[in-house]
Amino acid sequence: MLSFSRVTKIYGKRKKRRPAVGEARFGRLAVDDFSLEISAPIFGFLGQNGAGKTTIIKMITGLLAPTSGTIMIDGVPSRDEASKRNIGFMPETPYFYERMTGIEFLRFCTELFPGAKRDDESLGKILKIAGIFEARNYEIRTYSKGMRQRLGFAQALVNDPNYLFLDEPLDGLDPIGRHDLKKSMLALKAEGRKIFLNTHILYDVEEVCDEVGVIHEGKLLYAGPVKDFCAGRPLEERFVETVKEYEKGKQDSKIMNQES
Amino acid sequence: MNHIITIAKNTLKLEVRDKIWIALLAFGLGYIAIMLFLSDLVLKELPMVKAFALLGIYFFNAIIALFLGTTSFYRDVERKTVYFILAKPISRAQFLLGKFFGLCAVIFLTSVALAVAYLAIVALAGGGFDAMGLLAILMQFLEMALFLAFAIFVSTFSSSLLSIVYTSVIFFLGHVVSSLVDDARKIGISGIRYVFVNILYYIFPNLEKFNIRDFAVHSVSLPWASFGFAVAYATAYIILLLFAAIWIFEKKEI
Repeated sequence: MLSFSRVTKIYGKRKKRRPAVGEARFGRLAVDDFSLEISAPIFGFLGQNGAGKTTIIKMITGLLAPTSGTIMIDGVPSRDEASKRNIGFMPETPYFYERMTGIEFLRFCTELFPGAKRDDESLGKILKIAGIFEARNYEIRTYSKGMRQRLGFAQALVNDPNYLFLDEPLDGLDPIGRHDLKKSMLALKAEGRKIFLNTHILYDVEEVCDEVGVIHEGKLLYAGPVKDFCAGRPLEERFVETVKEYEKGKQDSKIMNQES
Repeated sequence: MNHIITIAKNTLKLEVRDKIWIALLAFGLGYIAIMLFLSDLVLKELPMVKAFALLGIYFFNAIIALFLGTTSFYRDVERKTVYFILAKPISRAQFLLGKFFGLCAVIFLTSVALAVAYLAIVALAGGGFDAMGLLAILMQFLEMALFLAFAIFVSTFSSSLLSIVYTSVIFFLGHVVSSLVDDARKIGISGIRYVFVNILYYIFPNLEKFNIRDFAVHSVSLPWASFGFAVAYATAYIILLLFAAIWIFEKKEI
């Protein structure tokens, strides 16, 4: 299980003074007192650009440290080496070593996991899952955006992880690529792996996710089953409505504060 | 340790595929080859051939070290390639050390290639096997390792362009600080100005400690104590710079 307990992230200088959202002088509040427990096989994290989705995924994978609060994976802090051995991460718009070939890059990633299978057969299998096997011996600089996304997905699988964290994995993929990747995600789910997915492509979320979380300005507005959230209406409509309700509530409380 | 080796191996592999490194190495080899013709036409004497060849090796190594040190680490962080790496069970310190040793390996490889060419030229010019020349190249390598450590340290907190500026300034100051102190003594500067010159001397690395080209050119043997001191000096300085670089990189929000 993935659990967040009162996680806050403030970017910038003076972290002792808590800044308001968007306030730059004392740092920027990116995630605000975020608590959540996730046990769903595929969890989709929804939010606008700058809502805090990537910050959260970077904190889970240990790329960033929370300003306060804890993130645990199966009871172990997510930044611990034991947790990192058990996760795969695909960053948003991945930048690779351009002069390496696809298979070389996978080999390099595998070497960072002691004990992971490094033979070409195992790596070939992963490349086939990601749909990039044929291009394995080409230099990455010749890859299209979609091929890079596929390679990014492939490298997240080299350690046979139980948890996969994918940041906008469907961005830049053509319809066939998206279909293939969603199929792969569902196959991984069937193997018992858990997937945490950041996206703003709501149609795909409806298709693959069991649960969703809606984040806005670093605050969690909703977390639960997709069906409960939608309640028979389109996901996009419900998402916009939730964000607008929050904005309206914020505006109302601001007016009340000014009046009092 | 395995992670450091993995990063170092990968860095070496990537950098030697870089066309800029290949071009600079080719220029360096070409420059040394030209010495063979110049030895007959202009330079005439063996010490001149040695001096120009060693200076060429130093120049090309310095250019490569400046280029690699200020771009390789910075590029990985800035382009966010580190996301792939640091999300895996590897620490930031291991990554940074791996980059440093990988870049040192590139400089070492460059030095070996240029040293082979140098030895061949000296032998063809009638100088036989030049052991002191080899030692001079080794000392140049030590200087370049220090230079790389400084460039990586600067890259942890500044842009690639600024790193080039800072590292170039250090390179220049590193070669003039010792003569600055000597000149200050000779001229008779005292008081606050002399203190200032001394502060400069102790803050900036004294890169002249690694310059034994004159010994090599005139085949004068170097006291082992001087060599040992230079090695210890470089090692201490490199460790200090890498510690500082790791400390900053650990705190950096990537």
